[in-house]
Amino acid sequence: MLRRVKIDWADLPDPRNLEAPYPPPERLHPGLNEINAETFPAFLDEIGLVGMGGSGFPTAAKISAALGAHTLVVNGVECEPGVTIDQAVLLNQALWVAAGAHASAKAVGATHIILAVKNDPDLVSELRGLYPDFEIATFSEKYPAGAEKLILKKLTGKTPPPGARPHQFGYLVQNVVSLRAIGRALVDGVPVIERPLTLAMPSTGFYKNIIVPVGVPIRELVERHELPYDPAVHILSNSGLMMGREAALDDPVEKTTLSILVLRRDTAWRDERPCVRCGACDAACPLGLNPFTLAERVRKGKTNSAAFKGQMTECFLCGVCSAVCPSDIPLVQTLEKGKQCL
Amino acid sequence: MSIASPFIKIGSRSSAMAAWALLALLVPAALYSALYDASFIWRLIGYALLGMSAETIYTLIFKRKRRLVCMGSGFSAALLAASVPNSMPFLPMLFAILFMVWVVKLPMVGLPLRFNTAMIGRLFLMLVYPAAVVNWGTPTADVISTATPQELYHSEGFQLEWGELLFGKIDGVWEGLFLLVPGSPGETFPVVLLLLGGLLCWKGITAWRTPVAFLLTFCATTWLCGDSPLFNLFSAATIFSAVFIVSDPVSSPMSKGGQIACGVIIGVGNALIRHFTYYTEAIVYAVLLGNLCAPALDRLAFELRGRRLNRRSRAP
Repeated sequence: MLRRVKIDWADLPDPRNLEAPYPPPERLHPGLNEINAETFPAFLDEIGLVGMGGSGFPTAAKISAALGAHTLVVNGVECEPGVTIDQAVLLNQALWVAAGAHASAKAVGATHIILAVKNDPDLVSELRGLYPDFEIATFSEKYPAGAEKLILKKLTGKTPPPGARPHQFGYLVQNVVSLRAIGRALVDGVPVIERPLTLAMPSTGFYKNIIVPVGVPIRELVERHELPYDPAVHILSNSGLMMGREAALDDPVEKTTLSILVLRRDTAWRDERPCVRCGACDAACPLGLNPFTLAERVRKGKTNSAAFKGQMTECFLCGVCSAVCPSDIPLVQTLEKGKQCL
Repeated sequence: MSIASPFIKIGSRSSAMAAWALLALLVPAALYSALYDASFIWRLIGYALLGMSAETIYTLIFKRKRRLVCMGSGFSAALLAASVPNSMPFLPMLFAILFMVWVVKLPMVGLPLRFNTAMIGRLFLMLVYPAAVVNWGTPTADVISTATPQELYHSEGFQLEWGELLFGKIDGVWEGLFLLVPGSPGETFPVVLLLLGGLLCWKGITAWRTPVAFLLTFCATTWLCGDSPLFNLFSAATIFSAVFIVSDPVSSPMSKGGQIACGVIIGVGNALIRHFTYYTEAIVYAVLLGNLCAPALDRLAFELRGRRLNRRSRAP
């Protein structure tokens, strides 16, 4: 049973508002005259596009591998809890998203575009008006519904084999923000130098979706919005609650930064206690794996069995096991080490 | 440990789980105190404090750590007090609590094979103080030779009203003759116990798979043996065990499949021991058998899942 990731923040950033506090960049790229299988990946390399859903995988390589795919999936399911940047981009920058989606579909030869979003009736009805030629597929609000594997599972009706990529099934799954970047470059000649993200400090009730230049230090965002950040009390999370990492004040905003969250240190601190063998990690794993047994095998170095390798390959380190562990055992960190044993 | 994602915690913390379970156990204890023996709840709290003290002393000596609130051992001790006859003297209880905490519970922390501590305590009492374990009341008749009150009702063809069976208060001539209440203090109120079990599952304190598999297979096996599933379900320690003992996470398997298999083993085992043998306290043997199987069941679940994934990745 998948446990719902509950966010008890007062209110999440409103996806209908997307601010651009920085001056818009000038045209830097001539754009693209003809979109086809040869020109498009080269164009994506030129504008410097990597997967902006968080993976950072070069999009040109992904497009090249997906040539011949029949369906483009626009991934707006918004994986990380407490972040609404995908929805904000979908609602506020439909022109660029649609342009990017049509260009990608044309390049790989896809005839069908599916817009994957969370199951929110109001959002879906708004999106139907904005994207009339896209088919809309709704997904659960439970983390990690936006993971590529789970999207594919719903679309194909069966769980894809461990290590399989969507293009093997005729699908190209692209994040909304990546498609927005493609559209921005095609329409306005602006390469990937902007990053839409959610900036939030839940303890003060501050939530905002903003577009910032890539490379701007986090310090500048914090000071511009006058957030009362205190390193002794708070931590900065780059990219989210579940799969994000702790960032320093002088770290830059990257192309893969989904969000900058200023969280209270005491709520994020995990004090490990002995396992009570409750099985919460097993019950919560979205892929039905056995995270604690996997972690035990990594710790003991028993990583040669076929069963271990099968389970370890399937795991995509979503972190649900760590989040639900009543003993705060750092399971996902151990599983990360386990990935190196494959 | 450094701060690393996930930066969010979901569900209950392990430190509070035993406290929640203990609170739940206090409900039937309070009802028993109100209806039958006012001192029982205080004795139960006393035994819980005794269990906590035993763990505190152990951690001080062997782990050189100061831990004042050891709720796990406190809960186990309270569970033992609720699962043995109300007439159990103090000294056997003291020995049983010290044995289960010092010899079984704490030395086995971190091992894949864990036993349900309360059941170990009950087994200790059954072996060392067998007479006290089956002393269910103060009979006014000359001789009563029976393992559990349930057996007495059964052999005498005594018809319990549903209300009595569900809520525990037995009126009529039988009470006057034998001064009996059906079973040990903890197991007297099946409906209340069922509600508490649902609450604990909803709070995420206990897993539902093992107890549900236990109850279903227990009923099915009892029915196949030709006995009344409902009578067996609502009498003796069946519901009490499902809510507080079979659902014990520490001694049950972690995997979903393992939990169901463990519930089946305990359910079938309990029903078969009740029907075919003369052993008393069938649940003790069944639960300990399930606990013994837990590491193998977890390992089997892991191997089967891994193999299934490997087969899928090889498929075209």
